[in-house]
Amino acid sequence: MRIVAAKKILKANDQLAEENRRKFNAAGAFCVNIVGSPGCGKTTLLEALFAQLGGTVAPAVIEGDIAGSIDAERIDALGIPVVQINTDGACHLDATMVQAAAEGFDLPTLDLLMIENVGNLVCTAGFDLGEHLRIALLSVPEGDDKLAKYPAIFRGSDALAITKVDLLPHFDFDVARVRSDMKALASKAKVFEVSAKAGTGIEEVAAWLGERMQAR
Amino acid sequence: MHEVSIVEALIEQVEGEVARAGAAGKVTRLSLSIGRLSGVQPDSIRFAFELLSPGTLVENAALEIEEPPAVCVCAGCGARTELDDFCLECPSCGSRDISIQGGREMLLQTIDLDEE
Repeated sequence: MRIVAAKKILKANDQLAEENRRKFNAAGAFCVNIVGSPGCGKTTLLEALFAQLGGTVAPAVIEGDIAGSIDAERIDALGIPVVQINTDGACHLDATMVQAAAEGFDLPTLDLLMIENVGNLVCTAGFDLGEHLRIALLSVPEGDDKLAKYPAIFRGSDALAITKVDLLPHFDFDVARVRSDMKALASKAKVFEVSAKAGTGIEEVAAWLGERMQAR
Repeated sequence: MHEVSIVEALIEQVEGEVARAGAAGKVTRLSLSIGRLSGVQPDSIRFAFELLSPGTLVENAALEIEEPPAVCVCAGCGARTELDDFCLECPSCGSRDISIQGGREMLLQTIDLDEE
């Protein structure tokens, strides 16, 4: 006997992600999935964004890491609600983990739920978490060839933040190349150049985020 | 190795489909479509399947994996080029005004059962 399924293999994840999105919508919480390599500046960007947004939004953070709670402690120090997920070796977050973590918040009191994914440019690409936006980060020291080498993660993102641009004088990093590659992979995506250290570009990211939250 | 999570999801899905169909017996063959731009390696899927299938309904089932290509559609010259890999420019004219269609699918197509 043959059963014709013709169904997505990650259908269970996609369905759960849809459920998460419905739950976030009902609570009025806007959800963003932040992806990028280990050390690209995901937590630092979050800290800078929260400083920029000030008291205008009520944020919370889900931190995804293989082990430890270093990032969660940094967010906690800002007085922002945070739940740490330890994946115990798994290289990405999935919708089940996010569903369980989101239970740690009183969602209706939140405007903005940031999910910091596990630092990984490959495996995080395939798993919808129920977010409204995905922002990919690429830091200057990683090199300007990463969009060409890891296209899937950038192709599915709504924005690209080039981070640590204060280091541009020290690296052969061609911003124009990255912008052009991003245009080919995701023509509608926004590209930001930021330095949390120098405090540049953060305002633009915050403003765009605000627009997208309004437009939802 | 996100392929491990994918194979876990696959095995659960097969068990669900077989139960829904009210079928009994051993699964002898599974056919999958894994798009060439899905970011998933068929070899890693096979490896994870060998690791995870023992003791489940799909133990010893043959795994058939079809790998559909993606298509680069160029707004510049109108060319439609089949792709094995991502491209950043049209392989025909070099334009960057392109859209890449398909090739990302990961589907469970059919399940064959040996009913005893």
